[in-house]
Amino acid sequence: MEKLELVGLDATLYKETFENGFSIYMIPLKDKKNYTLTYATRYGSDIIEFDTKDGKRKKVPTGIAHFLEHKMFEQEDGKDPFTFFGESGTDANAATDHTYTKYICNGTKNFKENFRFLLQYVNSPYFTEENVEKEKGIIEEELNMYLDIPEFVLENKIRENLYQKHPRRIDVGGTVEDIKKITKEDLYDCYNTFYQPNNMFALLVGNFNVEEALQIAKEEISSRQNIVNKRPTGRNYHEPIEVTKKEETLTMNISAPKVLFAIKFLRKKFPIRDKHIQNLYLQLITSVLFGSSSLFREEARKEGLMSGMYYSWEEVEETINLIFQVETKKPVEFLNALKSTLSNIKIDESDLERYKKVWIANEVRLFDYTDAITDNIFGDIISYMEPVTNRISLIRKMNKHDLEKTIAQFKVEHITELIALPKEE
Amino acid sequence: MKYIRKDLGSYNLHIIKTKKFKSVVVQVALRTPIIKEEITMRNVLSDMLLLSSEKYPTKREIALKSQDLYASSIMVEDLRLGNYINTNFYLSTLNDKYTEEGNLEEGIIFLSELINHPRVVDNHFYEEDLEIIKRQATASLERIKENPANYSLIRLFENMDKDSPLSYRPMGYIEDLEKINTSNLYIYYKNMMKINMMDILVIGDVKEEEIENMITENFQSNTYKKARKPYRLEEKKLRSKKMIVKEKEDLTQAKLSIGCRLYDLTEEERNYALTLYSIILGTGGDSKLFKNIREKHSVAYYINATPNKLDNVLTIRAGITKENLKKVVKLIEAELQAMKKGDFTEEDLNKAKELFNTSLDELEESPSRIMNAYYMMELLGIDDIKTRREKMNKVLKEDIVSVAKKIKIDTVYCLEGE
Repeated sequence: MEKLELVGLDATLYKETFENGFSIYMIPLKDKKNYTLTYATRYGSDIIEFDTKDGKRKKVPTGIAHFLEHKMFEQEDGKDPFTFFGESGTDANAATDHTYTKYICNGTKNFKENFRFLLQYVNSPYFTEENVEKEKGIIEEELNMYLDIPEFVLENKIRENLYQKHPRRIDVGGTVEDIKKITKEDLYDCYNTFYQPNNMFALLVGNFNVEEALQIAKEEISSRQNIVNKRPTGRNYHEPIEVTKKEETLTMNISAPKVLFAIKFLRKKFPIRDKHIQNLYLQLITSVLFGSSSLFREEARKEGLMSGMYYSWEEVEETINLIFQVETKKPVEFLNALKSTLSNIKIDESDLERYKKVWIANEVRLFDYTDAITDNIFGDIISYMEPVTNRISLIRKMNKHDLEKTIAQFKVEHITELIALPKEE
Repeated sequence: MKYIRKDLGSYNLHIIKTKKFKSVVVQVALRTPIIKEEITMRNVLSDMLLLSSEKYPTKREIALKSQDLYASSIMVEDLRLGNYINTNFYLSTLNDKYTEEGNLEEGIIFLSELINHPRVVDNHFYEEDLEIIKRQATASLERIKENPANYSLIRLFENMDKDSPLSYRPMGYIEDLEKINTSNLYIYYKNMMKINMMDILVIGDVKEEEIENMITENFQSNTYKKARKPYRLEEKKLRSKKMIVKEKEDLTQAKLSIGCRLYDLTEEERNYALTLYSIILGTGGDSKLFKNIREKHSVAYYINATPNKLDNVLTIRAGITKENLKKVVKLIEAELQAMKKGDFTEEDLNKAKELFNTSLDELEESPSRIMNAYYMMELLGIDDIKTRREKMNKVLKEDIVSVAKKIKIDTVYCLEGE
């Protein structure tokens, strides 16, 4: 078992990888009463085309990873996971995103039984024609719920305009039309391909015993076989740098206009090869330009340019993308201000140093919350394949030179704009 | 964990000493009986105090100062607690151990600066500041229908009882916003500081005496106040027959909100059996509503029940296809009826107790939730965490059935597509 210090955080991360490729990561915290257990696969809505075990290319309906997540709660012996966890007052949940599906339980008691059951129920699929049909109504209501949230609809819309080929263009939940086509055979094909040990991992944070946890994982997982030896992946779409649609204006049921703006970059154009370090610099740029203490926000407040702004970075194959969403009564002025800030980036040494201090403090503060630690480390495993144990030292080492080199490559060329206007009454 | 309560005359200081957390959180809570026409003013004022101050004249300067204090965060929230409106200001900062000597004290001075020294001139707030806040408030008031599930709940309460604080919109009203100016806002501020009841809570690895000094130096108040009104809303006469209200919006999914009245509950029932009742009925994936309405009938994705002890209501919410409204309401009524008949097992009751126990365990892992628990003990005189655990474990099946018989559907509200 590997033992890694989490630098600057008085905590240790234990890691073991079994022969079949499954990894378990554990951060025991003695002074906590609770624990968060995650069992996950590197399989999400981005994968809708892949090779099955007999080497055949298979295309599946959109939204299938999410559908599969719902169906994992169905057990052949009828033992409902919610009921099992409920007996010890443990909260169970699951989530599907573009690049992963995770099964979680949060509790304070029955650690051993709960961890074992978490692994067992995700390891035992039970799909029947009847239970697959039954789920369609529930998922249709879930998708309908999201369709009534404008921000959500618009985020999907900008992705559709930003990406040309990659399934990131489609909502995680898929379309109602597609989910109606899903069959139990489709589900088994996806499950058998992507829920194999070399594509999965467990992450445990909080109050538990490391030896006991490892023993349970060994018993439940070490004898499981991979169906193919290589880690399974989906199709590579070679997503091009060009966007699908440069601009679009639409109307919807909203009270004031909303603007979305996205920029597409090629990762290889940025100077730093280490993905995580490069991402830190990119995040620094957006934090300084658009964060709570930015001049941009201050000016926008005074000018009444927006009410509320969200932005996020996301990676799709070789592209790395920045997406903004705001509500504004002055869409054109807002877009001009945004573009002008982005094409003339100035960051002082003092901004850099201030954010380093802020980020380090935030890393420490996070350690008061088991779920926040889990989210942080989980994000690393998904984005960088492994947890980042020295983030605080990496932040400390950030410097003006590398920042300038990154800024020099920050070219706002491949963009897409989306303006949503209120429907006329 | 050690709890110390100090009566400082015009306010109480609560210190919760624990080595468990790396951060220290300070809460300044101000409350007064709620008046509908003042809700918007209160919200505007809270935002105003965090927009600028005498020493930090812009929001950007406030943000820079927070960052400088090792990413301290300052937050404000206004919420209604029964008959009262309550404003909480929070400072959350890392313990000096992880930053530098004096960081916490500077944080407390900073919080006090924002609350006690607003940016004013000649008994007015600044016009330019108010304009910013009003613009944002207008936008968020106009956005109310963009969260249809929440809007459905607001309309449910307005239909249930339009005169009761239950129906007051927490975000306020456009027409009240228009009436606010820099001078009446300042009068409201002065008045709030003078007549509102105040409590200050601090949680973290702190020294009692040091904290007391820091707080008393930075928060002075000289009027003695007492609660003039009970916190809990008074019980209303029951409707003889349930009211059904449907309204139309441009929606894909209908948002159903059902309001039930709680009546004749004893204090013990309200604090204990009611909690377990609502867990069994509608909390999480193991509840009756989830199992029977979502899993068995596939007619909803989300469905849950939430009690509100202070308002004497229990709400049930679900997203459904509008054609299924009758069917879903019937199914929900059947579940309420089943609870009355005691149609649930000892195992269901034990699971509900376990869930409650776990939620108390988890509460003890979060500084702000611990603090909130102590604040509620102060306000409502409810039992401490240990007593709560003990009493909850003693609740019997018949206690749940007794509660079930004191819950009645008042209004079924459905916001649906055209």
